[in-house]
Amino acid sequence: MEGLQLLLTGFAAALSWQNLLFAFIGCVLGTLIGVLPGLGPAAGTAILIPLTFKLDATGAIIMLAAIYYGAMYGGTITSVLINVPGEAASVVTCLDGYQMARQGRAGTALGIAAIGSFAGGVVAALALAMVAPPLARFALSFGPPEFFALMFLGMCLVTGLAGKSLAAGLLMTIFGLLLSLIGIDPVRGAPRFTFDVPELYDGLGFVPVVMGLFGVAEILLMIESPFRQLLDTKIKGLWPSREEWKRSSGAIGRGTVIGFVLGLIPGVGAVIPTFMAYIVEKRLSRHPERFGTGVIEGVAAPETANNAYANAAMVPLLVLGVPSSPTIAIIMGAFIINGLTPGPFLFKERPDLVWTVIASFFTGNVILLILNLPLVGLWARLLKVPYQYLCVGTLLFCIVGAYSLKGTVFDVGVMLVFGVIGYFLRKLGLPLAPAVLALILGPFMEKSLRTSLEMSAGDFGIFLTRPISATLLAGAALVIAVSTFKFATLKAMKEAESK
Amino acid sequence: MKTMQHGTTQGLIAALTAVLVLAAGPAPAAQYPTKSLQLMIAYPAGGSTDVAARIVAAIAEKQLGQPIVVVNRGGAGGQVGWTDMSRARPDGYYIGFINLPALNTVILDPQRKAAFKVDAFVPIINQVLDPGIIWVKGDSPHKSLKDLLEAAKRAPNTLSAATTGILSDDHLAILMAEEAYPGAVFRIVHLEGGAAQMTAILGNHVNVAFDNVGSVFRRIRTGEVRALAVMDTQRSRFLPDVPTTPELGFKTVISSSTRGIAAPKGVPAPIIKRLEEVFQKAMADPEHVKKMDEAGLALKIMVGEEYAKYYRELHAKAAKYTEWAQKRPHR
Repeated sequence: MEGLQLLLTGFAAALSWQNLLFAFIGCVLGTLIGVLPGLGPAAGTAILIPLTFKLDATGAIIMLAAIYYGAMYGGTITSVLINVPGEAASVVTCLDGYQMARQGRAGTALGIAAIGSFAGGVVAALALAMVAPPLARFALSFGPPEFFALMFLGMCLVTGLAGKSLAAGLLMTIFGLLLSLIGIDPVRGAPRFTFDVPELYDGLGFVPVVMGLFGVAEILLMIESPFRQLLDTKIKGLWPSREEWKRSSGAIGRGTVIGFVLGLIPGVGAVIPTFMAYIVEKRLSRHPERFGTGVIEGVAAPETANNAYANAAMVPLLVLGVPSSPTIAIIMGAFIINGLTPGPFLFKERPDLVWTVIASFFTGNVILLILNLPLVGLWARLLKVPYQYLCVGTLLFCIVGAYSLKGTVFDVGVMLVFGVIGYFLRKLGLPLAPAVLALILGPFMEKSLRTSLEMSAGDFGIFLTRPISATLLAGAALVIAVSTFKFATLKAMKEAESK
Repeated sequence: MKTMQHGTTQGLIAALTAVLVLAAGPAPAAQYPTKSLQLMIAYPAGGSTDVAARIVAAIAEKQLGQPIVVVNRGGAGGQVGWTDMSRARPDGYYIGFINLPALNTVILDPQRKAAFKVDAFVPIINQVLDPGIIWVKGDSPHKSLKDLLEAAKRAPNTLSAATTGILSDDHLAILMAEEAYPGAVFRIVHLEGGAAQMTAILGNHVNVAFDNVGSVFRRIRTGEVRALAVMDTQRSRFLPDVPTTPELGFKTVISSSTRGIAAPKGVPAPIIKRLEEVFQKAMADPEHVKKMDEAGLALKIMVGEEYAKYYRELHAKAAKYTEWAQKRPHR
């Protein structure tokens, strides 16, 4: 219960007009990004991170978090109206959301998505406030070996779950890890792969790399497919009917639980909870065959899970300093830029900041609800902005943003190069998430691996003799085994089908 | 005749260059400064070097009559910023903080391939001396420094000791302690800073930590962790109850992290003089003294030659322990 008490003090700060303003700006920008097809939360937070440099740490993080869940919601609008998910986590919403829109029920679909997101977000934030402090205390038993094992597990999950095959996931994880080796050796201090370029001594900047991989690559892809169909329906009747309420409330409840629980596990990503929630509803339904034809549960469940996940995913970041998705990794970058290390001590050392940020999740969700229910028509009109303006505008913003990071053209170059790399990776169907997570976790993983070995005087047994570390590594082995099996069966099924 | 002609040409070139420099270059030292100064910090914003630098810069700029812009060029343990500073134009408009012995070990470690030598910087004035401290968890069985060193001698290379980074002042301090108590060998674990040390000590992942007073004194006051010794010739005013290493009989175990202002080599002497005066005045300002005290940072003002001498002597001392660190079997 101490969490709730601290949360109240957090509210006092989160309700200051500055912090409300930051949350508001974040929600607006986030929704905007979510609505603009292609630009997802990862690209959005990456592109907008330079905007927060002038703010204090609390304001910066409040704003970035608001951008994050704003984008999560904004993505729904395009899924429903034009059958194009604004970001990956809204893919499932397309299935029933677009069908509802075609039947003239776009308003109801967007309404239930907003309500579900709100419910999922608020409940998850409340749960976060209760779980985080005890977890943070428990986190003290995490030494370097445990951190290594946890990050290893997270990386195995991303590798095994993202992408079409284990090989693709593994390839991208290793690509990210290799990139993370550039720069000064974190333990011995020797420069590695720097080619005597001083700008590389600190490694590749995480922000320009993700801005390139997500933002610039996305623009390049947009140029290729400039046509889209806007469903020209009037958006009306946001409030669901009594019968729709009845059907959605269960879906919202289950979506919250699924989203929250999966959000606690690093590396799961935002897509899986939405699929899981959808599948669960379909299984439980008396009419599973109706799914995909515009049933309201099919929108309510994934959208709720999506937002519950977004809030829960802050737990591993705040408690352990381990980001669970690329977007969270970017938010972690914002902590680091502000001289803060997310982890168990953040709760002790900066309780003001932590609890204000957590309280801002509530205010943010309220702002989002207010912003979205009445303004949904306005957002929908944004979809009519011609692509050419959108592309040029976004690219310009990216370049200015990359330059403003350190005031060097080098970062702009890094961003553009990674934009091209990202474009080809996307064309090849390779998943970006493992690469991004490996890039930000790489240095921490290397550091904890080497510190562990310093602690044990070079004995690798330290990872297996400590119970938490051993359990986590066993989990990692299980993940690899299961995903190998999963991909093998998928392949076998495909082969059987083709015969 | 030939030599004379040569001499005339050279003289002419020199004169022309002088004219050109005067025309295009900065105003002469007498008018210095005519524009804003950059004060480089080789660490990210928010760290203790940065905090202290901003406090003094805000006061000094009033006396200087020109703004002092604090520029953070963090990265690679300071190497990025110091490389920048060593390459800056020596006109007095780019000065920076040097952190000792971090700067010394960057120069001394051959693996770092530093692009500058020890004489690339002209020390102007030192601001802070944060003494080293040896500390353990509140319930640790090691009650005194002697206990700890004896334990490290009885079972060498088993007690783990945390630094705040390889070749940091804390790393060198561990070597000094081992030297002062022959036979004692710690298992050295390099962590990335004070926060990581605190997690590792409270979670029982390492046995003892070597750090600086400024980053742990608050937790020592609350009793969560216990200080065994402060590695300085006098007691810390923030921890008056903690004995110093010389009091405990370890006169050679003296370690600290200092931060002061330096200029790149080649800045005209009158400008250096002016900066010495301005910053000396600023550091004596009651506001500066008060704010530094609140931040837990101990002042140690060393100006001009005194600071330069400290820089040279510390470099020789750091050289000895850096070499030892490279040769030590248990790295």
